Amino acid sequence: MIPGKYRSVSGRAANNVEFKLNKETPSFSGRLLQHDLERNYSSRQGDGRVISPSPRNKSSCISSTTNVTELCGLEMKTAMSSLSAFGDSSMQTPSKSRIRQGCHSAGPNVSGDHITLASSSMPSFPILQRSSEEKILYSDRLTLERQKLTVCPIIDGEEHLRLLNFQHNFITRIQNISNLQRLIFLDLYDNQIEEISGLSTLRSLRVLLLGKNRIKKISNLENLKSLDVLDLHGNQITKIENVSHLCDLRVLNLARNLLSHVDNLNGLDSLTELNLRHNQITFVRDVDNLPCLQRLFLSFNNISTFESVCCLADSSSLSDITFDGNPIAQESWYKHTVLQNMTQLRQLDMKRVTEEERRMASVVAKKEEEKKRESHKQSLLKEKKRLTINNVARQWDLQQHRISSIAPNQDGKVSDCPQDPSQLRGSTVSAFPEETGSLDSGLTSALQGLSVTDTHLVEVDGDTLSLYGSGALESLDRNWSVQTAGMVTTVSFTFIEFDEIVQVLPKLKIKFPNSLHLKFKETNLVMLQQFNALAQLRRVDQLTVDPQGNPVVNFTLWKYYVLFRLSHFSMQKINGTEVTQNDMIMAERLFGILAHVASSELPQYRLISILGDARKKQFRYLLETKGKKPGLVNEENSDSKRLVGENTNRATLNYTTRDFYNARLEEIKEKKKFCKMYMEDLVKEATEINMKNEALQKLWPQMFIELVRDAVIEIRNKSSYMKLCLQQITDQK
Amino acid sequence: MLSPERLALPDYEYLAQRHVLTYMEDAVCQLLENKEDISQYGIARFFTEYFNSVCQGTHILFREFSFIQATPHNRASFLRAFWKCFRTVGKNGDLLTMREYHCLLQLLCPDFPLELTQKAARIVLMDDAMDCLMSFSDFLFAFQIQFYYSEFLESVAAIYQDLLAGKNPNTVIVPTSSSGQHRQRPPLGEASMLEGVEASLFSQCLENLCDRHKYSCPPPALVKEVLSNVQRLTFYGFLVALSKHHGINQALGALPDKGDLMHDPAMDEELERLLAQVPGLVNSAPANPEASCLPSRTPPRVGSPWRPLHHARKVDAESDGSTEETDESET
Repeated sequence: MIPGKYRSVSGRAANNVEFKLNKETPSFSGRLLQHDLERNYSSRQGDGRVISPSPRNKSSCISSTTNVTELCGLEMKTAMSSLSAFGDSSMQTPSKSRIRQGCHSAGPNVSGDHITLASSSMPSFPILQRSSEEKILYSDRLTLERQKLTVCPIIDGEEHLRLLNFQHNFITRIQNISNLQRLIFLDLYDNQIEEISGLSTLRSLRVLLLGKNRIKKISNLENLKSLDVLDLHGNQITKIENVSHLCDLRVLNLARNLLSHVDNLNGLDSLTELNLRHNQITFVRDVDNLPCLQRLFLSFNNISTFESVCCLADSSSLSDITFDGNPIAQESWYKHTVLQNMTQLRQLDMKRVTEEERRMASVVAKKEEEKKRESHKQSLLKEKKRLTINNVARQWDLQQHRISSIAPNQDGKVSDCPQDPSQLRGSTVSAFPEETGSLDSGLTSALQGLSVTDTHLVEVDGDTLSLYGSGALESLDRNWSVQTAGMVTTVSFTFIEFDEIVQVLPKLKIKFPNSLHLKFKETNLVMLQQFNALAQLRRVDQLTVDPQGNPVVNFTLWKYYVLFRLSHFSMQKINGTEVTQNDMIMAERLFGILAHVASSELPQYRLISILGDARKKQFRYLLETKGKKPGLVNEENSDSKRLVGENTNRATLNYTTRDFYNARLEEIKEKKKFCKMYMEDLVKEATEINMKNEALQKLWPQMFIELVRDAVIEIRNKSSYMKLCLQQITDQK
Repeated sequence: MLSPERLALPDYEYLAQRHVLTYMEDAVCQLLENKEDISQYGIARFFTEYFNSVCQGTHILFREFSFIQATPHNRASFLRAFWKCFRTVGKNGDLLTMREYHCLLQLLCPDFPLELTQKAARIVLMDDAMDCLMSFSDFLFAFQIQFYYSEFLESVAAIYQDLLAGKNPNTVIVPTSSSGQHRQRPPLGEASMLEGVEASLFSQCLENLCDRHKYSCPPPALVKEVLSNVQRLTFYGFLVALSKHHGINQALGALPDKGDLMHDPAMDEELERLLAQVPGLVNSAPANPEASCLPSRTPPRVGSPWRPLHHARKVDAESDGSTEETDESET
């Protein structure tokens, strides 16, 4: 036995442990280093026979097998650690050659040497015997490397063997070693074993290397309670199982298997290193139940979210982890998320975690958190908006008496809306701090963004002003900032009576002078003449009238009428369709005569009164806004003049909302009543006069005769008449 | 003014009956409404213009429905205006729904009641499938009957219902009239099986009605003519027959004959002029520069073809007849 000196300071960190490695290191320690650490840098070696270049890893790895080394009388040197990083070339070579020698000598075909493999009493198994010389030299170890063995030979008289090496054979089944009860180290690397078996008696086994075999299942390890290192890399294992009793296990290598997930790790209380590289793992659980786990290698798996490995964050002992080769590592948030969640980490993907990185991670995480909060807020707003719109829709439907008809198309939407409007009642959400730069500060910032109440919704989204519910029209009275107002080019009306919209059109014209695109949906557009109202706007380039809630769109003529009536806008698109010249001609052909008749055949007094109405309406609005911005009023005046000038023959086709019209009819009725009375009186008087006149005409001839006769009688007696006349004159004096 | 009837009635009643009062009232009403504007250009001028427009039939444009239906002349004027303005729609060959026609009517008269349009559509569609498409001419003639004779038709409907129910309408409406001769009506069940009412009986009742009806009704001779061709008929059958009768259309005098419905050369000319001004129409705009200026308000159209309505009938009958026929086949 080679005297081994080994200083292990228990309680000190693994990387501080020093070893002295004897030059005559037997192969097993090297081997151990080789394949128990299957954490290859893929660049170096494809299949995991690489030793970690990191001194820390290496040494810790050695430390995990210290007991073995001690038992085997190995002397390790710390100095070796750097060397051993490339164990194959440097450290391995001398020992290998040595062993190879032994191996050669042990070859079954070489007879008369130290070892004899002979088929004897047992028909199928070769019996191994060593020369006594060999036995004395290597009393506790036996190496049968590359012997083309297909079965385990019967090893006789070697009960004191502690190390047995069957590397690189063709063994399919572990057998004939149950008598080696003192065995501590069993290396079956690179064989064809399909099942773990025949180990139940090896109670003192501490290192079991089964890498590169054909094992499908972890089993039959029940009695190996002292197992320290278990290497199962390069097998076909799909599941971690039957390991919970291995409370002394420190290293478990399951690299290059077929694991789809990680769990069942309870009971592995000593596990410090777990290698799971090159599997198909999508999620990891139970890792927080491993109190000693320090290193976890998850490279080249299928982990795509941090949530699927979130248990790692709860492990306090974990200091080294790899995720490279996973989808997660491609994400932009990968590094800072991992660092943020696993503050205990010292090394990530083989790179030391610096303070700077940690700081960055926390900064990024903070930002992320903020963003999340923002987006949460946004989604909250969105949800609120959705609910409000639903609510508005419901009210609209109630208003339209269409409750029954909405059921099929909007059921889904309405039903998931909570039934208690109290949740939304009166809640006014004002947000979007980025929408600043307005003139008046407090008020506008509240108004500019999104204001939600339960009956209506106003929203400015980019260049679109969306109004839901009739209450939203009031928002046009607000003081919109110049910037916002100038930006809005599209105004969309939903769930609002068109007649109500008509009343605010003059305001719209002033407040949003750049609005070019009008959208109407569920606005009860039923008549062609309603489009007349739009003529008063400054400019309309596009018009979109959704068929939903606007029956007028079902008419074949509506588009032409719009084109005709709003021809002074030279519209470009109607309902998303480009307006062609043919459309314009058709519109003129259909309605040109109407305009002509309206303009040329209307009596002057009617023309004045109709145009006057429009003018009066504008005037009324101007009175309201007067005093605020006199300049605007002037502009407005000239504008209305221009409007009248632009389409004299069309201006007579205007639209008065129903209420207004009814009011006017009432007014007319009143006037009519008065006129009727007045005319009645007049006519009566006239007819009376006429009657009197006629009666007079009838009487006049007779009267005339009578008068003449009286006169003649009076002057018949001349002298007496003269006397009478004289008398009258004197009487007068 | 000097017709013999004048002497038979007191002045006031006479004026009322001739709707002179209506127009006088309306004129004053209009004057009242726009007194500032009108006083600027003279009240005499206003009255002249007003009564001129009444004569030309342009006074009803964009007026309220109560005024439009106030007199037969107004109704005829409205029918004519409707035809004139939307003839192009019919010419284009579009088939429209009742609602769409209603919209067109509302362009001329904002408060035109839907009920009337519906009734007219019912005549075209024989009382079913109200959302069907109709040709312009079908609708127009049905609408004419319905609108112009609407009170008359209501009475007719009442009579028809009574006849259908086996009651003698004359006994109900005019108890003193010769009721004995109508007593032998077939019992109710039989009548409903045969559908409609007997034409001759119906005719008699209508004759009675025409005699005492104070609203305008179609010439009794023509009604008789319509009814004499058939044995039995339904209410809507009768209305369809009325609407398609040339003589009644002529007597009414608002619309041209069916064959000439699409024909209005003066307006077509006007339309061509307007088309030349369509913005963006490059090729034709420079062709007639005088047309590119805005259409100046033409003086009242003295030559507006109110009287000589039935002149041009023969001139262009065949060309427009073709469109009209296709319309009919589509309905």
